[in-house]
Amino acid sequence: MYTRPSIPLLTGALLVVITAFIGGAISGGEMASRLGNDAKAAAAALNAPTIQARFTTLGGWPTRHPLLSGGQDLSEEKRAKAAMAIASIPGVGGIRWIDGSIMAQRDIAPLTPMHCQDDVRALLRARTVRFEESSTEFDPNSLELLDEVSAALRPCLGSIIAITGHTDSSGPEPGNIELSLSRAQAVNQALIRRGIPADGLRARGVGSSMPVEGLDPADPANRRIEFSVIATVPLAPTPVDTPGPR
Amino acid sequence: MPIWFELMILLLITYAFGLALGWLMWSAAGADDKGMKS
Repeated sequence: MYTRPSIPLLTGALLVVITAFIGGAISGGEMASRLGNDAKAAAAALNAPTIQARFTTLGGWPTRHPLLSGGQDLSEEKRAKAAMAIASIPGVGGIRWIDGSIMAQRDIAPLTPMHCQDDVRALLRARTVRFEESSTEFDPNSLELLDEVSAALRPCLGSIIAITGHTDSSGPEPGNIELSLSRAQAVNQALIRRGIPADGLRARGVGSSMPVEGLDPADPANRRIEFSVIATVPLAPTPVDTPGPR
Repeated sequence: MPIWFELMILLLITYAFGLALGWLMWSAAGADDKGMKS
């Protein structure tokens, strides 16, 4: 006898759903209350007994995904630790706070300061942008360094980046200032060619007036290029970005 | 997500695998050719 295959298939699926429902009803409540006790113990162990973990859904069904609440009197760090402790109980699924945040944070995360200047400084600690003597031509090894510097500056796009050229004290000072400025401008152009917008770059030359601390002004190590992130320009939308109603 | 719902997803996946495996074995055994189909 042939029956349409869809009928037994759907009957099987329905049986599966019913089995799951009955199985969940039998073991779900017990499982949720065990997880609830474990969560309470975990919170108490971290001196955060005010944190409540609710192992029921909004519809009242037992669940493995607790909704955390309370603990307003505690620091964010303590809340985060308690949340992690509850999340790491075997059997607990994802956790979330009652205010909707997934982890412990309630407030907007503090803005991390831009660290591109530190990155650039770290790059230039051991190496430096070098030039041919009395020239604005880059030393071939410096081109690779410039690639790395432009990559390190990329997260700070929108900021004003100052490029300062320095020389040693050999040679007359007016010439030194001119040379340091043209070297800074050469670096400026090199960065523009590597995709850093020109309007965020400022080149200046100070000649030999600012030698490296602790170095003799005549030391060739004073010939260098320094980068500093001097200002952050907030991005404001232009009228083109925000069309008005038609 | 309620526990019974998670259980249902798990069981439905098992059911689907069982069906697929059963169908594969059935067709590999050549039951199709022996007139077991209408």
